[in-house]
Amino acid sequence: MFLLHEYDIFWTFLIIASLIPILVFWISGLLAPVSKGPEKLSSYESGYYMFALVFVVFDVDTVFLYPWAMSFDVLGLSVFIEAFIFVLILVVGLVYAWRKGALEWS
Amino acid sequence: MFNLFLAVSPEIFLINATFILLIHGVVFSTSKKDDYPPLVSNVGWLGLLSVLITLLLLAAGAPLLTIAHLFWNNFFRRDNFTYFCQILLLLSTAGTISMCFDSFEKERFDAFEFIVLIPLPTRSMLLMIPAHDLIAMYLAIELQSLCFYVIAASKRKSEFSTEAGSKYLILGAFPSGILLFGCSMIYGSTGATHFDQLAKILTGYEITGARSSGIFMGILFIAVGSLFKITAVPFHMWAPDIYEGSPTPVTAFLSIAPKISIFANMSRVSIVASYGGTLQQIFFFCSIASMILGALAAMAQTKVKRPLAHSSIGHVGYIRTGFSCGTIEGIQSLLIGIFIYASMTIDAFAIVPALRQTRVKYIADLGALAKTNPILAMTFSITMFSYAGIPPLAGFCSKFYLFFAALGCGAYFLAPVGVVTSVIGRWAFYYIRLAKRMFFDRPRTWILYEPMDRDKSLLLAMTSSFITSSFPYPSPLFDLTHQMALSSYL
Repeated sequence: MFLLHEYDIFWTFLIIASLIPILVFWISGLLAPVSKGPEKLSSYESGYYMFALVFVVFDVDTVFLYPWAMSFDVLGLSVFIEAFIFVLILVVGLVYAWRKGALEWS
Repeated sequence: MFNLFLAVSPEIFLINATFILLIHGVVFSTSKKDDYPPLVSNVGWLGLLSVLITLLLLAAGAPLLTIAHLFWNNFFRRDNFTYFCQILLLLSTAGTISMCFDSFEKERFDAFEFIVLIPLPTRSMLLMIPAHDLIAMYLAIELQSLCFYVIAASKRKSEFSTEAGSKYLILGAFPSGILLFGCSMIYGSTGATHFDQLAKILTGYEITGARSSGIFMGILFIAVGSLFKITAVPFHMWAPDIYEGSPTPVTAFLSIAPKISIFANMSRVSIVASYGGTLQQIFFFCSIASMILGALAAMAQTKVKRPLAHSSIGHVGYIRTGFSCGTIEGIQSLLIGIFIYASMTIDAFAIVPALRQTRVKYIADLGALAKTNPILAMTFSITMFSYAGIPPLAGFCSKFYLFFAALGCGAYFLAPVGVVTSVIGRWAFYYIRLAKRMFFDRPRTWILYEPMDRDKSLLLAMTSSFITSSFPYPSPLFDLTHQMALSSYL
């Protein structure tokens, strides 16, 4: 915008991506009914903690597997084995989460 | 090709053993037909066994040291220095695991993951010691710290422990960021992350006038980040709280193992970054400040674990004086200091949880220990006197050599300050006060302690005998560390 003109699209993206959440929260704050009471001030555990934890682990897994998948054809056998070992390590984490009950629906 | 894997077989074994232990623990402790057994002791002994087998593998792989330079180009470089540092690290880890068993039984601690989280940072410390690349160093430091954050908070029902864990998280994540920033500045200014290349680029950069502020900032940040991690004095802010709040075996582990590995790594980095004026001044200042703080701050303490924390900060300050001189005697005195420090700390932390009827938190509880349990009192006082640096014990040996090395490289201010603070620590009723309480005080009610279990008493016997025999017969230690120091400069 001001300096580096190749980055104009980047600035647009940044501004829109900042505006949308602000807009969302503002509209929701305008339209929602407001009620007071002591219940509203207490803390609330939504139960999604375990989901978020397991999600983060496997998301980082995916992030590392994407570049490998994109350049799979030019890398050799040794890289395949290394990626395999990486996935095995994550499977160990998955077995742990499974036995501890993180994969249950309730 | 196979030589490469043989060279890292200790680490590979430890990783595999950790994973197998984790799966074994989780599969059997959640199986209904075995009635959900708490597998802590089981996994604990297996963990200890795996650490000892790693030690054996490392020792058996010694002839491979000459071939193991195949890894040189990538991540690490093994020589005598790293070999003996790794052995010391594994021995200290085995010692701290054997300290845990008693506290598991007494406190009915049933999370076996605690044990799995001890070989895991050990493996990353084994990789950190020979690390020869900035990326490898950072990854290993980060991995080791992450496991420590978790085990520092492992006593879930205790607020102290949770507080210690979150404080350690903040105190550890922030310097990791600083360290990484320094690494990236050095990479940005020189384009090299491998220590060999950095050594060629940074040789005498202070003298030849080819200074670049990027390199200067990078080295400064790396030094500051590493100093945070070993809780050096201007950066030690929450370390006593962390040491006090964590469960005692964790505190023992925390005060020995990262210090060994980060000191080894830092001496590598400093040799590479050519010990310019900046690095040396920072390290000198931190050493002086650590010694002063360690001596003075412990005077006001009434609990037992906090002065141990302060004394470990102070002692690490003494060790850092040896390291701040850039000479071979400096590195040698650092290594002697670390060996002796490791055995003294294992000693001290093995005694503290052993004194439990109710848990010992206050120093006043140690009253008249000499009458109720004289051998324990004597062992504790041997350890304390060794910390204080009293002659017939190993602590004096290490301090003497440290100051000798400091004088040898011209740090004429540092050595007198060190001697004075050591004397203050001794006379101004700090270590001696504990001994006085034990031997000469008469508490209002007699406190009776349960006898210590077998593993800890074995551990105490080994470390106390090392401490007492080090002074009359120090030559194996001196020879060993001289070899280590020489090979680290090659």
